[in-house]
Amino acid sequence: MLIAPPTFRRLVRARELLVSEAHDALTVRAIAAQLRLSPFHFIRQFAAVYGRTPHQLRTQARLERAKRLLAAGTPVTEVCLELGFSSLGSFSALFTRWVGASPTHYRRSVQVPRNVAPVVIPGCLGLMAQLPRNSREATRL
Amino acid sequence: MLQIKLTSVMVEDQTKALAFYTDVLGFEKRMDFPVGEYRWITVAAKGRDDLELALEPNANPAARAFQQAMFAQGIPLASFQSTDLDADYARLHGKGVAFTMSPTVAGTVKVAVFSDTVGNLIQLHQPL
Repeated sequence: MLIAPPTFRRLVRARELLVSEAHDALTVRAIAAQLRLSPFHFIRQFAAVYGRTPHQLRTQARLERAKRLLAAGTPVTEVCLELGFSSLGSFSALFTRWVGASPTHYRRSVQVPRNVAPVVIPGCLGLMAQLPRNSREATRL
Repeated sequence: MLQIKLTSVMVEDQTKALAFYTDVLGFEKRMDFPVGEYRWITVAAKGRDDLELALEPNANPAARAFQQAMFAQGIPLASFQSTDLDADYARLHGKGVAFTMSPTVAGTVKVAVFSDTVGNLIQLHQPL
């Protein structure tokens, strides 16, 4: 599909609203209305551009916030309330489905002791420095 | 002598990126193995051994901020050359790819721009 420049700008704005904590209460339909897009076209175009529906992108953003809070040592129940989930059960089930570990397990696995310097997230071609020796020969298809 | 054999794009989700760059764009996977919690993935044009493209995680917040800002401004972060841009546009359009620019003549090249669904706008170009 071809996305015209004004529509593209609206989709970019929609993404900002969807990941923003301050606009968490805005429904997908309300965002579409605010940006003067029909809900049907909005969802379809958004998914083609961002690879996820608006709802999926928002869920992912909320779970990323949950992961950050859990990694910082915030108790699971507090994270659940902070993100506005109505029950611990639904939060836990959703988190487990998307992240692959329960919130409790995730919190335990990623917490860094306070006296240890944070590890720099590998980015870009920095990953190459960690490649195993002879990987090129061993894994080239 | 130095050669350009490897470049990269940052991607939001390496698994989805690999699927898009192979199944949709038509590149072939060259390498894919775990490195820590991420993967070292490269793709290349079918049957060509000139340049590989690494699909890097954008986990670094600085990388993500740069990527999102460029995307929001409509600026592509890579350009792939096509031997027949109109045909490639029709093929990708048929697969549901979202273009922000249809094939447009710009001086000595014809260009088009699409979203790779993992955080980047990518340009296609064909020298005229």
